[in-house]
Amino acid sequence: MAKKNYNYAQLEAVAQEMRANADMVFFYEYQTPTATLPTGEVLDLAKEFGEHRTSGRGWPIDEQWIVGVAIGAAAAGSKAVARIPTMAPIYAIEYIQNQAGKIRSMTGGQASMPFVLWQDGAGRSQGMAGQHTDVGMEALYAQLPGIKVVAPSDAYDAKGLLIASIRDPDPVVYLDYSEVKGGEQPDVPDDAYEVPLGKAVVRQQGTQLTIVAWAPATVDVKRALPELAKAGISVEFIDPRTLKPLDVEALVSSVRKTRRLLVVEHGHYTSGFGSHVIAEVAQALPGVKTKKLAFPDVPGPGAAGMMRWLRPDAPKIVDAAVQMMRG
Amino acid sequence: MATTTSRIDRRTLLKLMGSAGATATVISTGCNSFNQPVSASGLTGGKFDKSVPLATDGPGGNMAWQPGDAVKYLPPSDIPTRGAAADAISALPKEKVLRMYELMTSSRKWETAMKDLFLGAKDGLYGAFHTYVGEEAIAVGTISALNDDDYIASTHRGHGHLIAKGGDLNKMSAEIFFKATGYNKGYGGSMHITDMSKGIMGMNGIVGASYYMAAGAAIRARVKNTKQVGVAFFGDGASASPYYFSAVRSCANLKLPVIFVAENNFQYMGVPMAITVPTKYISEYTKGLGIPNHLVDGNDVTAVYAATQEAVAWARAGKGPSVIEGMTYRWYDHAGFAGGRVSQDAAMGLPYRSDEEVKQWMSRDPNVRFKSWIIAKGLASEAELSAIETKAQTAVEASIEFARKSADPKPEDGVLNTYANSAAEATQFYNRRNISAARTT
Repeated sequence: MAKKNYNYAQLEAVAQEMRANADMVFFYEYQTPTATLPTGEVLDLAKEFGEHRTSGRGWPIDEQWIVGVAIGAAAAGSKAVARIPTMAPIYAIEYIQNQAGKIRSMTGGQASMPFVLWQDGAGRSQGMAGQHTDVGMEALYAQLPGIKVVAPSDAYDAKGLLIASIRDPDPVVYLDYSEVKGGEQPDVPDDAYEVPLGKAVVRQQGTQLTIVAWAPATVDVKRALPELAKAGISVEFIDPRTLKPLDVEALVSSVRKTRRLLVVEHGHYTSGFGSHVIAEVAQALPGVKTKKLAFPDVPGPGAAGMMRWLRPDAPKIVDAAVQMMRG
Repeated sequence: MATTTSRIDRRTLLKLMGSAGATATVISTGCNSFNQPVSASGLTGGKFDKSVPLATDGPGGNMAWQPGDAVKYLPPSDIPTRGAAADAISALPKEKVLRMYELMTSSRKWETAMKDLFLGAKDGLYGAFHTYVGEEAIAVGTISALNDDDYIASTHRGHGHLIAKGGDLNKMSAEIFFKATGYNKGYGGSMHITDMSKGIMGMNGIVGASYYMAAGAAIRARVKNTKQVGVAFFGDGASASPYYFSAVRSCANLKLPVIFVAENNFQYMGVPMAITVPTKYISEYTKGLGIPNHLVDGNDVTAVYAATQEAVAWARAGKGPSVIEGMTYRWYDHAGFAGGRVSQDAAMGLPYRSDEEVKQWMSRDPNVRFKSWIIAKGLASEAELSAIETKAQTAVEASIEFARKSADPKPEDGVLNTYANSAAEATQFYNRRNISAARTT
């Protein structure tokens, strides 16, 4: 098994499903669908599938078009993936909200919608400012009826969740944050495997405190885990991976044991998806201690110092955990 | 209102209608307004007679517009002289021509019956209802020029499209009654009635939503190399949607087999097209794209059919999209039946238009014009056509009885049919309930 980088794992997922479905289409803007293995093997989807099944020559900078026609193709019966770049995280939302998520219901079950929005996420990067620093749009999409939402945080899940999303007959928003693509990555199998939608994963087992984080916040939690161990706190770390439908059972069974829930997210504080995580656990387990760390309700500023201070990073996570263990 | 509705007196009106006149043929001007003679080398490269102006000027781009001004843009009525357009339809087998008349008749009779039911209130009908009465020639003219497996994307005013595609009146009526036997099992109602099995990408409650549906279907057709086309219906109001230009320009650039059919009925909701469309006609928007732009008398089914036939041939040949703009008129209000009465055609007394204007357009009733054309051509007798009308009326009445006798959907089915393989949780209760996924249909 060749060691695959994150991008290769994702494009391999699309390529494998396109090979299996002769009428599947994949549209994107400027993100060239090519990736290379360390062995030099190149994956080039535009070349392999041609300009009718990919957004070949002549496609516009027009996110509504890219998303809209993917949804149209899906309504007509083609599996369809539309990839939208980071600085346009909700350009697609109108057509998804009014069409993709509702067409099955509005037609009384006649229509199927095998559509995936592959939404690139910017992340809280330094020096970009405002429009190129967004995180947390998963909460907006999760609010929409009929829409499923996934947010992988490593290469294995990135491939498996993408395949599961493509195979799902319902529309799925797949959030792709670049911050999770670096560092040590798990091995990615060659076969077309699924990471099932709606299943959380326990990244570390523990007994005293449950930490829940997904996508970019997992990077900070992973940095915090060694410090938390040194502080003598037994942490159970859960990555829900799919935000909707949420694996409430996995979260509740962990917190039933630990009685403490800390949710960390890079989305904004108000109505961030973490609020829903806490609401589900608190309703099931009255009396447990809960806390949410989130990016404040401000756009990401450009200056590095401000961005670092705003971010719910490892030192802030350790501090929160220590305080939750008191009393 | 009196001051505004009387701006055009009868004499002026007759003069204008006369000048619109007798020798006019179907107009396919490329991009020119009706008052400019168009050479045979117009952008469409079409075979229509293009030399006769339809009216003195376009209706759009006229900020001085007043209710009643739409009478100036009445299409000509002299169908038998329409040259190539009429030839296209008279070349069809008799059964097909009669089928077209039957579809137009069914559409008119079904909607008129529903109007009477809504106004009569005995059945307690509720929800939105956007009538297509007066515009039947566009649905039937367009869809009759398609193959059964071609796609259409409809609008909120789409009953006529569904009927023209072969929709089942029983399932349509039951959906208006929100019954479990309706096309959409009671989930959709008037604005969403559809039959996906007939290539209908949904009616749509969102203005401007049809373009991407049709274009996406066309992309799929090209991937599968089937030569199918996608038709996007839209109104004059929807031409203002940013999705419109987005879709037409990309379809032109990618040469996708899509036909954009504007049903220009002069009035979006209660706002006149004259002050919202900056060009003389909607089909002028796309002038710079080098695609065929057909401007036709939308109350003339022969004209719509001929233009569509040309656009379909263009699309199937891989040349890309076309725009067809049919000038027509909505007899009733935007939605519902303000100004309407049981057993009376059309809505009168609406504040944004004059009754005189309505009556003039009613005198160009597309169904009546088609009927007299069929008789004049000797394609069928008056008696044969009357039999078709009776058959249509019987089917409409039977569909209403079917709807009345059908069962309501179960309330708890409200959590079904959103996701393919599971029901949504019933979170409205203190104790959440799981409705069995097995019941998802």
